[in-house]
Amino acid sequence: MTVGTGTARVTLSQREFLGLSPDRLFVVVSRVTALVALCVALAVFTPYFLTWSNIINVLRHAAPLFLMSAGLTLVVLTGGIDLSVGAVLGLAACIAASLITSGFPVFGVVAALAVGLSCGLVNGLLVAYARIPSFIATYGMLWIANGLAYVFMKGEVIYGLPAPFRVIGTGFAGPIPVPVLIMIGTIIVLHVVLHRTRMGRGIYAIGGNPVAARLSGMPVQRRLVFVYAMSGLMASFAALVVIARTNAADVSLGEEQLLPAIAAVCLGGTSLFGGVGGVAGTAVGSLILALVLNGMNLLGVKTFWQAGVLGVIILLSVMADQLVGRRINRGTT
Amino acid sequence: MLLNRRQFATATMSVGAATALGALPFAGAIGQGKKATIAFFVKNVTNPFWKACRIGAEKAGKEFNVTLEVVAPTKPDNIEEQTRLVEDWIVKKPDAFVFVPVDYKALVPSIQKANKAGIPIVNYNNIMTDIEKVTFIGSDDEYLEYEICKSLFKSMNGKGKVVHIDGVPAAITAQNRKKGFERAVKDFPGIEVLASQPGQYRRLPAQQVFENLMQRFPEIDAVVSANDDMAVGIVEALHAAGRGGKTKVIGIDGIPDAIQAIAEGKMYATVDFSGHDQAYLAVQAAVRHLKGEKIPPLVMLPVFIIDKGNVGTVARTPEERKVPSWEQATRKA
Repeated sequence: MTVGTGTARVTLSQREFLGLSPDRLFVVVSRVTALVALCVALAVFTPYFLTWSNIINVLRHAAPLFLMSAGLTLVVLTGGIDLSVGAVLGLAACIAASLITSGFPVFGVVAALAVGLSCGLVNGLLVAYARIPSFIATYGMLWIANGLAYVFMKGEVIYGLPAPFRVIGTGFAGPIPVPVLIMIGTIIVLHVVLHRTRMGRGIYAIGGNPVAARLSGMPVQRRLVFVYAMSGLMASFAALVVIARTNAADVSLGEEQLLPAIAAVCLGGTSLFGGVGGVAGTAVGSLILALVLNGMNLLGVKTFWQAGVLGVIILLSVMADQLVGRRINRGTT
Repeated sequence: MLLNRRQFATATMSVGAATALGALPFAGAIGQGKKATIAFFVKNVTNPFWKACRIGAEKAGKEFNVTLEVVAPTKPDNIEEQTRLVEDWIVKKPDAFVFVPVDYKALVPSIQKANKAGIPIVNYNNIMTDIEKVTFIGSDDEYLEYEICKSLFKSMNGKGKVVHIDGVPAAITAQNRKKGFERAVKDFPGIEVLASQPGQYRRLPAQQVFENLMQRFPEIDAVVSANDDMAVGIVEALHAAGRGGKTKVIGIDGIPDAIQAIAEGKMYATVDFSGHDQAYLAVQAAVRHLKGEKIPPLVMLPVFIIDKGNVGTVARTPEERKVPSWEQATRKA
């Protein structure tokens, strides 16, 4: 694959570090700081937090959400949104579970991924070629995927997946849970795609300035189809990990995951306006959300307070860098 | 094979007087030649509980020769959509509504409109106040949880450490089930409640919450889960952590997965919360009302605990289990 050392790089600042301009670097540092601050606070308040088994536990909780948000991150980087990730996750989960429990494990996995990819492709075609705003195109897909899943399942829940399949959700490779390894692998692959390939550079360029991207002769439409297809594919991939973990599949599986997935992307520093951010940030965002739940459970925060506490921590973790960030940006630009 | 459940005590409670009489002019609508139409409402088409309700209602519809129209919001448990559906159906003017609100307060104004339009309402599953209704048919969540907790605590000789996993905090069922749990805890001073945390009635969140709690509590003697879906997730988490068999887990609902877990000795007990029976009896109540019969204002289904002792005689799905007869269900305690 060609390494993108071309025009895109020239436009960035000369003082790059790890391929990041100073303001970008700042966002990354501040998000990691928020994460670390949260960890320190929890370690101070509860002795059960800073244990190896709890750290593994939190990482494992973050993994399914991250996988779902990872593909979504690419879409958000182009300045779009994919509202269908939860519904596609649900549909793929049902198809996979149904085929796997009927004795076709390989076919089940392939079919689920194919369904996710197809939903994503359709989204991409609608956005790139039919010029439908991504919010509407993927909102339509949300209902279509939900509808297909309803028809397919008819209110049924599928239980009892085979043990070999469940390894991807519940297994361990040495001390590390398999979903965490999958998460790390995904971060590396997508990070390389975003920062070391022409496709990746193109994704940032489209999000940063779509007109300029088009005028520079970039195949904008094809790249858009690619990112939506990846988002669908990653959602169906997340579905496999989720059903392997819960040992059950039903239509509404992904429903309540949509907003947390978008939140994970934003918490990780990816701008909803496109062009800024990355998958490593999304991993940080997923971890923050998993940490908040872990912390509330360990501290025994009362049921009725939990929703409010979650909201406050989300706001605090982004507000800090907005305040400091503004000052720094004023200095550098 | 499972007839003995019908021998359980049947309780009918009478409340107030100001109910059910708004529809007198409509008595006798059945039997004037035209087949009656009943609009049967469910909260969603995704949860197997409402599927069981649908099957129960359709069974009754066939048996009593009425046209049954199933009305469900496409977006699960959506208040706004159910409000619209109610208004649409007031215009269509069926002979009766068999109704469950997605929110027991938010739907009151809509049902009051149906009252004004003179449509008789049979309320099932979630009780509504401030409306005129023929009757309410359901299970008493507080009593169900109280009874199953009592049976659990007795099996622990009245002492031990217990974790409570709550449902959706705002749901009336969750609030009542929690009250039942708290009442049972008061009856057994040797029972220590380690934590009470919300699991959103869903498997994955409950699993993650419980995994967090396992980090803090190395010894848990029993888990009281507000429904079976969460209970099965908790059983999975216990086994995955190598702590299976040491902790007694109870749920509510009697879903197939829980029945299987009890049969395998992984879960301690559940209590039947049969939407199928509620819906069947609710449609029957509507038919009887239309024929001019007098219906008791409140019909509560009997408590039926499923544990190791009787799990062999219990059918896997609620719809395969035998429905109590009208006389059994409405017999005075």
